[in-house]
Amino acid sequence: MIATSLPRRTAFRLLQRATMALALLAPAPLLAAESAPVTSARVTATLLSSRDAVAPGERFQVALTQKLAPGWHSYWQNPGDSGEATKIDWTLPEGVSAGAIQWPTPKAIRVEPLVNFGFEDHVLLPVEISVPANAKPGETLTLSAKATWLVCEKICIPEEGAFTLDLPIAATGAIDAAAQARIDDAIAALPKPAGFTAKLTAKGEDKLALTLSGLPAGASDVRFFPVLDTLIEHAAEQPLANGALTLARSTAFKVGTPTTEGVLIFAEGGAKRALALSAEVEPALLQAVAAPEQAPAKVTLPPPPAEDLTLLLALVFAFAGGLILNLMPCVLPVLFIKALGFAQVAQASRGEVRRQGLLFLAGVLATFFVLASLVIALGAGWGFQLQSPPLVILLAVLMTLIGFNLIGAFEIGGRLQGVGDGLASRGGPVGAFMTGALAVVVATPCTAPFMGAAMGYALTQPPAAALSIFMALALGFAAPVVALSFAPGLLRLLPKPGRWMIILKQAFAFPMFATAIWLVWVATMQAGADGALAALVAILVAGFALWLIGVTRGSGRGLRAVAAAAALLLVGAASAFVIESATPSARPTAQAGTDAPGVWSPARVAELQAQGKPVFVNFTAAWCITCLANDRVALSRQEVKDAFAKLGVAYLKADWTNRNAEIAATLAEYGRAGVPLYLVYPGSKGAQAEVLPQLLTPETVVSAAQRAAGKEVKTATAR
Amino acid sequence: MTDVTRKLFITGLAAIALGLGSSVAFAQSAAKPGAKAPDFSVVDVDGKLQKLSDYAGKTVILEWTNHDCPYVRKHYNSATMQTLQKDMAKDGIVWLSVISSPAGEQGHVDAAKAKELTRTRDAAPASILLDPKSQLARAYGAQTTPHMYIIDAKGTLAYAGAIDDKPSSSASSLTGAKSYVRQAVAELKAGKAVSEPATKAYGCVVKYAPVS
Repeated sequence: MIATSLPRRTAFRLLQRATMALALLAPAPLLAAESAPVTSARVTATLLSSRDAVAPGERFQVALTQKLAPGWHSYWQNPGDSGEATKIDWTLPEGVSAGAIQWPTPKAIRVEPLVNFGFEDHVLLPVEISVPANAKPGETLTLSAKATWLVCEKICIPEEGAFTLDLPIAATGAIDAAAQARIDDAIAALPKPAGFTAKLTAKGEDKLALTLSGLPAGASDVRFFPVLDTLIEHAAEQPLANGALTLARSTAFKVGTPTTEGVLIFAEGGAKRALALSAEVEPALLQAVAAPEQAPAKVTLPPPPAEDLTLLLALVFAFAGGLILNLMPCVLPVLFIKALGFAQVAQASRGEVRRQGLLFLAGVLATFFVLASLVIALGAGWGFQLQSPPLVILLAVLMTLIGFNLIGAFEIGGRLQGVGDGLASRGGPVGAFMTGALAVVVATPCTAPFMGAAMGYALTQPPAAALSIFMALALGFAAPVVALSFAPGLLRLLPKPGRWMIILKQAFAFPMFATAIWLVWVATMQAGADGALAALVAILVAGFALWLIGVTRGSGRGLRAVAAAAALLLVGAASAFVIESATPSARPTAQAGTDAPGVWSPARVAELQAQGKPVFVNFTAAWCITCLANDRVALSRQEVKDAFAKLGVAYLKADWTNRNAEIAATLAEYGRAGVPLYLVYPGSKGAQAEVLPQLLTPETVVSAAQRAAGKEVKTATAR
Repeated sequence: MTDVTRKLFITGLAAIALGLGSSVAFAQSAAKPGAKAPDFSVVDVDGKLQKLSDYAGKTVILEWTNHDCPYVRKHYNSATMQTLQKDMAKDGIVWLSVISSPAGEQGHVDAAKAKELTRTRDAAPASILLDPKSQLARAYGAQTTPHMYIIDAKGTLAYAGAIDDKPSSSASSLTGAKSYVRQAVAELKAGKAVSEPATKAYGCVVKYAPVS
C-alpha cells in the first residue's frame, strides 16, 4: 500500500499540517484567545490574546483585563497614597519572554484627604510576548500567568487569579480580530512619548519644580503622575506657572536615578491628552538621598531651604521693597524736597517736571545697576558697602553735609549742585540725575524686609535674573517721584510755595543728623574709638573745606584757587587718616550686659544642641536698621528674656557688622543675602532650625522658643 | 532717627507684611522626620487622656491600624506585629496603636471591641488611641494601615513610613522583609541618626472622617 510505503515521519507531518489547516478554519471559540475568567463580586479578570495562533519569532500582545464593579478600583504602577499595583508573574516555556505591563493612563481617585492612582470600570493591561524563532509549528505555546491585584472601594480586598492560554504555534500567525481590536484600542490610549525631556529641580525646602518645555501653550488641567512613589505628595495641588508645575516634595522623598518617569495629563482644545514623560533630576536632589549614610551630624542637616520664591514673586517683592525704602527717614527728606522742587517748576513747565522725573529715574536705575553689578560680581551680600568703615564714614559725612545744607548753613553751588541746590530742583538735568543717585546711596543702609527675601533669591539666580530683581527694586524706589512728576494734579494738592517750605526743609535736616549719628555709631562698633574719631574728624574736615570754598566765593581768582587747593589737600589728608585708623577691629562686637548673648559659631550651636539646649541665633549687624528695630521691639524685651531663661534657650549672636565668611555662608544656606536672620534650633542633636520672620514680635520669639523647647502643648484636637 | 518715624516705619512694614502674608497660603503638610512630632491629647480605650508630652524622655511608637485591612492582618495573623510590640516594650518603648476609622467605616471599633482584639490577638500595645474624628491621623498625615511613626525621647519625629520593605498583603512577603521599625529603634538606641528616617508607607487607605 502506498500509505505503508511512505515513511512514518512524513505521514505524521502531513497529518499535522491537515490539523493545522483545520484549526485555522475552525471558529474562534475552539481557540483560546481569551482565558477562562476569574471572578469575584468586585472584579472579573481574564487574560486576552491578540493571536489565535502564533508564528515562530513573532511578537504579539496579550492583556490582563479587569472589569471592575461600580465604586471599586484597582491600582496603577504607583498606587498613590495607599494600595498596591497589579502584578503579573509569568510561567513561560523556554525561550518565550513577557515584557513589562504597558501601563494605561491612571486616574486620580480621591479618598479625601488622600488620593489613589488607578483604574475604574474596565482596564486592559497589555504585555508583549516574544516567541522564539526556534518555536516549532504544530506545538502549543502555553502562557501561564498568576496575577495579584488589590481592589478597593473604601475597603480593600487583595485578589489573585491564575490564567492559562494555549496558543497553537503555526508557520504564520492568526490574528483574533476582536481581541486585537480591543488590545489595539488599549495600546492606542497609552500615554504617548512626550517628545521632550522635563526638568525636575528643587524649589525651596519642600517643593519641586517640574519644568515642561514642550507643554502646548493652550494646555489646561495639567497633572503629573510620577512612577516613583517617593517623589511627591500625591494629593497636593500641582499649580502650573511659566511652563512649570510646582509639586509638593514627598515627606519620604528619595530619588535614586538621574532620570525619573511619569505620566503627564492635560486638556488641549477640549481633548484629553496623556504623555509618557521622562524628567532629568537635578543632581542636588540625588545627593539629598546619597547623604544619609555616615556622619550622624550630616544626616539631619536641613536640605537647602532657599526662599521659596518664583522670579515673578521676587520681582513683586523687590518692587514693594523699593517702595518701602522711600519711607526711610534718611531718604524721605531728599525725596520730599525733590517733590517740592517739582511744585515750583510745575508752575513754569510741566514738560520740565516730567523730564526731571525721568532723569531722577535714570539716576536711580544707573546707581542701582552699578551697585547690583558689584554685589553680583563680587558675590558679596547686600549691605557689604556698610561693612567697610571708610564707606560708613563717607556716608556719615554725606548725611551731615546734607543736613547742614537743609538747615541753610551753606549753599553748595557749581558742580556739586546735585547734592545741594539740586534738591530744590533748580539744578537742571545733572541735578535731577544726581538726586536719584544720592537717594539710592543714602537708602542703601536700610534693607527693608522684603528686599531681604528678594535679594537672597536674586543672588541664587543667574546674573540676568539677579539684575532684573535689582532693577525691579530700583523701579519701586523711583516710582513715587516719577509718578508725582507725571501727575501734576497731585502737586496741586500741596500748599503754595512759601515760608513753610523753608521751615520744612530745615526740619528735615534733623533726621539726616540722626542718621549721621547712627552711622558714626556703626563706625565705632566696627573700628572702636579710633573709628569714632576718624568719623568726627572726617565730618569736621569736610565742613571746613566747604566753608573755605564758600567764604572765598566772592573773592578773586587767585584766592579761590588757593582755597580750593587747601580744601583738596585737607580732604586728601583726612581721607588717608580715615582709611588708616578706621580698620575693622578683630574683637567681637557683641554688647556686654547681664544677659549678653554668646558668640555664634556652627560648632557652638551643635555643642549646645548636643547638651539638649534649644538655641536662638540672631544674625545681625550694627548697620542693619531692621535688626536694630527687632532688637528693640522684641529681643531686648523682658518677656523674651524671661522666656529664654525659663526654657533654657541659649541666645547666640552672629554679628555681621564686619565681614565674616562663615556668617555669609550660613546666610546663603538659608537663602538670604543679608541680615537679619533669626534661627531657632530645637535642643536635640542635629535637629533642624525654624526660621523666624524678618519682623519680630515678642510673641513670635516666645512661641518659637517654646516649640524648640518642646513645651508647647498643642492637642491634635486643636489642629 | 526719630522714634515716631521709626514707629511709623515699622507699622507700615508690618501692615505690608500682613497684606502680603495673608495672600500667600501654605498647605499644611504631614509631620516630617527630623522635626518636632505634633503633640496630641487623645482618649484611649480606658478613657484616659493620652498626651505625647506625658512620654517626654521615652521613645514612642505610633501604629495606625485597622484590624480588617488585609495588610494589617498579614502582620497580626503571622504574629509579626505582636512580637514587634513585645520586643519594643522590653526596650522601654511606649507603643500606641491608633484607630482613626470613623463610625461606619472599616476598622472602626469601640473601646470594648478594641480591647477584645488585643486580647484575642495577643497584642501588646501600651495603649490604643481612639481617633474616630481622624484628627490625630490628620496631624501626622497618616495614609495607610499600617503606617508607623517613631518619636524619640526628645519629642522629635525619628521615623515615619512603612513597617517593612515588602509592600504586599501576602504572608509570604514576610520572609526576608527588612523591618524599618527595628532598624530605626536599633539606631536610636546606639545613639546614631536614623539612616532611613522616611519611607513610603504601604497598605489600605486610612479611612478619614470628613472634616466637620
